[in-house]
Amino acid sequence: MIAQLWQYVLAGVVVGAIYALIAAGFVLIYQVTGLINFAQGEFAMIGAMTASALATSGMPVFEAAAIAVLVASVTGALCYLLAIRPARAATGVTLIFITLGLDVALRGLGLFVWGTNPLSLPAFTGGAAITVFGGVLPPQAMWVLLTDLLVFAALYLFFRHTYAGTAVRAAVANPPIASTFGIPLRTFAFWSFVAAAAIGGLGGVVVAPITSATYDMGLTLGLAGFVAAVLGGLDSLPGALVGGFVLGIVEKLAGGVLSTGWEQGVGFLILVLVLVLRPQGLLGRAVRRA
Amino acid sequence: MSAMSIPLTTTLEVRGVTVRFGGVIAVDDVTFTARTAEVLGVMGPNGAGKTTLFNVISGVQRPTSGEVSLGGTRLTGRGVEDVAALGVTRTFQTPVMFWGLTVRESVEVALAAREFGGTYPPAPWRELVRCGLGTPGRRRENAVLRERADAILTAAGIVAMAGRATESLAFGEERLLEMARALAVSPTVLLLDEPLSGLNPDEIEAVLASIRAARSSGVAVLLVEHAVGELLAVADRVVVLDHGRKIAEGSPQAVADDPLVIDAYIGDDASTGSA
Amino acid sequence: MGGVLVSRASPAAYGRIALGLVLLVAVLVWFLPSYYTGLLTQIGLYALVTIGLNLFMGYAGQVSLGQAAFVGIGAYTSAALAVKGHVTPWVGLIAGALVAALVAYILSFIALRLRENLLALATLALGIVINVVFNEWEFIGGSSGFKDIPGFALGTFTFDQRAYAILAWALVAIGIWFAGNVVRSSFGRALVAISAGELGAQTLGVDSERLKRQTFVLSAVYAGVAGAVYASSFSYIDPSSFSFLLSVNFVLMSVIGGIRSMWGAVIGAAVVVALGQVLQNVVPVVLPSARGDFQSFFLGVILIAMLILLPRGITSRLREARA
Repeated sequence: MIAQLWQYVLAGVVVGAIYALIAAGFVLIYQVTGLINFAQGEFAMIGAMTASALATSGMPVFEAAAIAVLVASVTGALCYLLAIRPARAATGVTLIFITLGLDVALRGLGLFVWGTNPLSLPAFTGGAAITVFGGVLPPQAMWVLLTDLLVFAALYLFFRHTYAGTAVRAAVANPPIASTFGIPLRTFAFWSFVAAAAIGGLGGVVVAPITSATYDMGLTLGLAGFVAAVLGGLDSLPGALVGGFVLGIVEKLAGGVLSTGWEQGVGFLILVLVLVLRPQGLLGRAVRRA
Repeated sequence: MSAMSIPLTTTLEVRGVTVRFGGVIAVDDVTFTARTAEVLGVMGPNGAGKTTLFNVISGVQRPTSGEVSLGGTRLTGRGVEDVAALGVTRTFQTPVMFWGLTVRESVEVALAAREFGGTYPPAPWRELVRCGLGTPGRRRENAVLRERADAILTAAGIVAMAGRATESLAFGEERLLEMARALAVSPTVLLLDEPLSGLNPDEIEAVLASIRAARSSGVAVLLVEHAVGELLAVADRVVVLDHGRKIAEGSPQAVADDPLVIDAYIGDDASTGSA
Repeated sequence: MGGVLVSRASPAAYGRIALGLVLLVAVLVWFLPSYYTGLLTQIGLYALVTIGLNLFMGYAGQVSLGQAAFVGIGAYTSAALAVKGHVTPWVGLIAGALVAALVAYILSFIALRLRENLLALATLALGIVINVVFNEWEFIGGSSGFKDIPGFALGTFTFDQRAYAILAWALVAIGIWFAGNVVRSSFGRALVAISAGELGAQTLGVDSERLKRQTFVLSAVYAGVAGAVYASSFSYIDPSSFSFLLSVNFVLMSVIGGIRSMWGAVIGAAVVVALGQVLQNVVPVVLPSARGDFQSFFLGVILIAMLILLPRGITSRLREARA
């Protein structure tokens, strides 16, 4: 029984690592623009599908992965330029609807380009399953965790130790004053979309060997990603990391103990509880403009 | 003083109100009362805590300690709409307009709450059903609301703009409408937050006339205003705040001569250049 | 500007036009092939949901991304009563509306404390949790749902496609009449007031929480009624019929028609359903590789384009043209 539960926890860590990446994208965009980007999960779909399609046609895995992240980033840039920027005068609810439209459109686009059949991506490296205290992890799990480590370390270094990162933090803390200092908020919004898309795409690429890639994987991943983001506090990157892992583990435990149908359900129950009891999340400060 | 027939009774009591935002004390142990049929000016340099005090009285902000009561009924701890139902309403530094409604309809919103016993919609689901079914009784009430709205707009001198969309109003017109809307709930206490700022001389006269009319009908008017001259001219009594504390209270003349008050304002002048 | 936001049609006009629509449908169904009669029913039921949603989103200024769940609750209630308890769908219709209302009432204490972004998230989450319940609750069929749901009947006449179309549109007419009355009453004006300036309205004694709650519950009643009719007219339901994607479709209908409009709900539903049909028939001819639910690409693009170019919907443009 304990061994079984431990196995659920390990499986939860793997999906949690992916959720954390998607959540990081949510947090980036939310921090910079105050916007919840409902299309976030689709960036992961685009990353996973592009990499899988390229690899299936014979490209080496790492090349395919690099191109996939690039494609996702460009998609993010286009989303901002074509849909968000033209509507920047709009109110909160309109912007919510626009990102909802992006989500639907990108999923439809995925269907157009890649069809309904699932695609698979070979694991980055072969080898035997990894055993951790009696539980088993697929070799790809190491790549997933490594990606998390690199992405969050990079984000930390960017925000704490670069001039641009400090400028973003200043802009977020006080937009009017930041713009009088010549900090270009709109440029930041653009790059937040690009970065969120790149991170999401990367998440999709590294998870594809484990789950395989389908055109509609973005919705589930995106929903889980923002449960993780809200759980950690929408404005906290460490929160996104913690939220992702907590959600992944709880989901897998609920799925194993209750039934797989409850995997998603339990995540959303947690989301509702967090929204009501602690809207600032586990690690967040008070949510802006709640 | 006009309207001597109405007894000057204490109506609004502010007792020991303190508001802290983190380490900052915005309002510090402020106590005063407002009486029926008087205009109580609330003065103070920028950041003295005037708006925060209004927020506490109108139920927008919960005080850290102290309480506000109206005719013996505790207001502190009640929701904004319940405070309004008990007779305390307010205007805002930036007028809040109900875009999507006409001027007349905006006033009707205020009247409906008044008409149905304080808050709108009244307790059960009956109002929604009656509105949806368009019952003859409900339609008659609508007609009555409309007439009353026009009467209020006439009294405020803005009945000519009754049918205009609120989006089309100029800033001064917004102020006049907001004031008329607040008076539509027949308040016992009316809190006006800088009602004269941004107005031209004619509009200032119109607002001052409304304030005097409200006073003579028995309303206790609390007035925050940066235009000190106008404030001292219209107020019956004045309370002065500085850095969240009450530093003076009395007749406009006494307050204007108070060295503490002059100090507070000169200090503010020196730093911000406004009066 | 503001004049066009709130429709000023007289009560009698609403009633008359709505009645006219029902008569039009009643005539049309004798000439249309049954496939199109089915579509007409679908448009009517979607319109009904969207009317309720427009009250909550367009007038009260809130947002719901979980409206499909209330349609599902209405459908499941009616279907369960009919299949398990042999209760007539007429009773199921009322029961479906009541259960949807009750659930909305309870959820309103959770969701309506939140605003904008977080309200959107909360309604989305609740919608999905309800869908998981449909899936996991074996008593109501689990993931396979209900089959052979009994139809409506009047005396010995069992409803056919034509009768369902007429029933759906009769409900639309009643729905428009009621909602139209609401938006032109004190209640509707108070809704517009809280959506424009919630605090300002509260300082006048408007109880915004109660207004939002009652409007949310009313929108759930519209959805529940539509769901109950849907269950009987299609005679088959499963959890996937009431997914998040359906909720997104309702938002789309609402936005396309004009979020603060009653007729907009009808136009939005008609446009979305018609567009789906056109795309389904045209696109595979042009692009043979297109499969599955590819229309969603176009719907998403249209939603974005509408919000950028015509944020108040088609009906706002019609009204401006008329004025």
